[in-house]
Amino acid sequence: MKLIFNYNQANTKYTSQEKDVDLPDDLKRKSLPLCNVNEVQIIRHYTELSRKNYGIDTNFYPLGSCTMKYNPRVNEDIAKLPGFANIHPHTPASHAQGALEVIWELEEILKEITGMDAFSLQPAAGSQSELLGVMIAKKYFAEKNEERTKIIIPDSAHGTNPATAAMCKFQTVTIPTDKRGNMDIDEFKKAIGRDVAVVMITNPNTLGLYEENLSEIKNIAKENGALMYCDGANMNALLGISKPADQGFDMIHLNLHKTFSTPHGGGGPGGGSLGVKSFLEDYLPVPRIKKENGKFTFDSKNKKSVGKLHSFYGNFGIIVRALTYIKSWGVDIQKISQIAVLNANYLFCLLKEDFDVPYDRRCAHEFVISAKKFGEKSTINIAKRITDYGFHAPTIYFPLIVKEALMIEPTETESKETLDEYAKVLKTIIKELKEEPELVKNAPHTTPGRLDEVKAARQLNLRWMPKEP
Amino acid sequence: MNFIPHTKEHISKMLSVVGCSTLDELVSEFKPRLSELKLDEPLSEMDLVSYMTSISEKNSSMKYFTGGGSYDHYIPSVINHLVSRGEFLTSYTPYQPEASQGVLQVLYEFQSFICLLTGMDVSNASLYDGASALAEAALLSSAHTKRKGIFVDDGLNPNYLKVLQTYCDGTELSITNSIDENTACVISQTPDFFGNIKNPQRLIEKAHKNKALFINCISDATSLAILKTPGEFGADIVVGEGQSFGIPKSFGGPYLGYIAVKEFLTKKLPGRIVGITTDEKGNEGFVLTLQAREQFIRRERATSNITTNQTLLALTATIYLALLGKSGLQNVARASYHRAHILQEKLKKRGFELINTNPFYNEFLVKSPKSTEKIIADLMECNILGGIDLGDNKLLISCTEKNSLQDIDLYISTVST
Repeated sequence: MKLIFNYNQANTKYTSQEKDVDLPDDLKRKSLPLCNVNEVQIIRHYTELSRKNYGIDTNFYPLGSCTMKYNPRVNEDIAKLPGFANIHPHTPASHAQGALEVIWELEEILKEITGMDAFSLQPAAGSQSELLGVMIAKKYFAEKNEERTKIIIPDSAHGTNPATAAMCKFQTVTIPTDKRGNMDIDEFKKAIGRDVAVVMITNPNTLGLYEENLSEIKNIAKENGALMYCDGANMNALLGISKPADQGFDMIHLNLHKTFSTPHGGGGPGGGSLGVKSFLEDYLPVPRIKKENGKFTFDSKNKKSVGKLHSFYGNFGIIVRALTYIKSWGVDIQKISQIAVLNANYLFCLLKEDFDVPYDRRCAHEFVISAKKFGEKSTINIAKRITDYGFHAPTIYFPLIVKEALMIEPTETESKETLDEYAKVLKTIIKELKEEPELVKNAPHTTPGRLDEVKAARQLNLRWMPKEP
Repeated sequence: MNFIPHTKEHISKMLSVVGCSTLDELVSEFKPRLSELKLDEPLSEMDLVSYMTSISEKNSSMKYFTGGGSYDHYIPSVINHLVSRGEFLTSYTPYQPEASQGVLQVLYEFQSFICLLTGMDVSNASLYDGASALAEAALLSSAHTKRKGIFVDDGLNPNYLKVLQTYCDGTELSITNSIDENTACVISQTPDFFGNIKNPQRLIEKAHKNKALFINCISDATSLAILKTPGEFGADIVVGEGQSFGIPKSFGGPYLGYIAVKEFLTKKLPGRIVGITTDEKGNEGFVLTLQAREQFIRRERATSNITTNQTLLALTATIYLALLGKSGLQNVARASYHRAHILQEKLKKRGFELINTNPFYNEFLVKSPKSTEKIIADLMECNILGGIDLGDNKLLISCTEKNSLQDIDLYISTVST
């Protein structure tokens, strides 16, 4: 393992020709402990690192809840056009009409896809979108002088939902999941009341199942004056088929990097967004983008707004990519979701005889199976063994309510052939578990092998340190 | 354009395995939309490129004498080539470390670079942007001190202040105008929004005397190459925007928030952190660590709700810092400093009064002898974005190594007419 800091000092083209700065000693840096590495060595170093990494480009990567679909390269080219990549965010609106148009047009399209009345693209990611949604709810009820202290969240939800609620000082009320994988409606009825601000639902939920009681949940929530929030992380199942606003949601967030194919980049940047019904529009962050007489302008006047969420206007480069992607699909967008659902159900059917199936229903764009019949820790063992076969593991041990869970989201861009191979590999691993269990338990058989995460957390080594001179 | 590999035969075969006769039947459980889907016809790749290019051309790409949180530094060619590699670009959060050693090592190097530059002990693997990094630092301070007051020194980027205010409103913290026993943190930016380089010594002492944390926010990250580190001054938390390290201006995002802390705050950090460990055979490798802080395990008791970060931009910054190295980064910082000072000197001769009372880095505030609105419009005619109009004929101007002496002369001749 060689770090960039371990290279010997080399000649570089980036030399210091400028004279020193004229600053008082108490403000000046005495030494800069960086080294000089030659460009060729740098290219080799990072190329080598890239080869130690699985991506969608190299391997099938069915991480559940992450929507690892193919990232069209043309989107990258568009985002790098000088007219997009070089624009300074302080450029006056008059000279940034194209940038404002991109934001405005994507907002319009997301309104159409979700049925919402207004969108903000300022949130930098899904979790920041949720934060915005909860802040809006908080302000909305504060202005109505209603004291509401609770947010209802099913136990299958992403961890971000309760974490966000807690950040905004709401109490989380967790509702268990029923036998069909829906939020338990009876428990929900017990929990709902006039102290509930928001009912936060992921649909389809993280079990990959369409929430069957939505209309009843919505009616009960509305009777109690609570807002309906949709975590739209799983929108890849519903594009063009279903509009969440029609189901009674007042707010929804979409993850541009999931549904709209922008690259996940090893963990980010993502792109968030929040759509709301008209009665919440005034709470959206400023500045908003307005179109008047064919001209686009910034509007920061709104006094009801919760404020500002991003240094500028959101992850613009991601917004460009998402718009490019949607324009390539246009009115055919529902094909994405139909095939995503087909792929998930097909792979689910190939595997359901071999694993435990916690909820035996037709799934949406992803599904959850359990390896509990192979004993404790078999999910992690299977996941590690998958790597040896040149595939990426699914999401594992999530949702928390399914023991030994494997959460698989193939997405629409994977072929039948790939799905058949993945099923074959999983079946082979199960056979190995019975015949050669050590082979699976010691996987992956790569270098490094299975890494000791407990040691990592106990003996912290989080940075390189220069040797004392 | 279509990224679906299925033939019609595949689809019907798969449908029969699933037990459905049509794709519509497959999704029949989903409540159908109640209104028509008003979207355009799909565009071919060729039409798409031409459509999006024509929109991009409605933006004017200029010569920038403007900063305010986004800086026009040169981006070396190598960066785009390496960052575009699909193995980096199309991977995700390294939940399976054995399949993600590349990204994990990059993040470890990034954390190391941020520590080296800031003089701090520990860095995380990035946050969304400078503004949200600052807000997260305030939340961290409140969680650590169990206090709710946030004190903000003059000169904080007004956009950051707005974002901080939004987070405070949502999380029940308050921005106060005194430092006392209710203060969770004292926030000071240096170089500040107006370019002032400040010695935070006294403010740090005052914060610590009141058992509050001191947060140092930084404007242009290249300043770290020549300025005494916040770590040396005694800051507890350092946050800022890493866009200067090879990231395109891109109308404000995606950018790169960073946060670094002193060791005692390690377990309170938000976001992902990468560490080194070993496998059974003793081979070293990288993993995400201290995950017990995070939302997917801790849920409502997490230190933050953050999930995605800005890994690809942390990669960009890491390659940038590796490429420039010690002498390159010093050169960028010195050149940015000198160009700003040359421009300021020349403007002074033309009646533009310098308002900064501290030494400044690459950004400075002047009072113009004539309408700043007209000055900005005149410069725009010459394809120059001349600064940020702060009202009252005050203009905030910024330089980088990209502003040549000829551009400076053009700036001067334009504002002199």
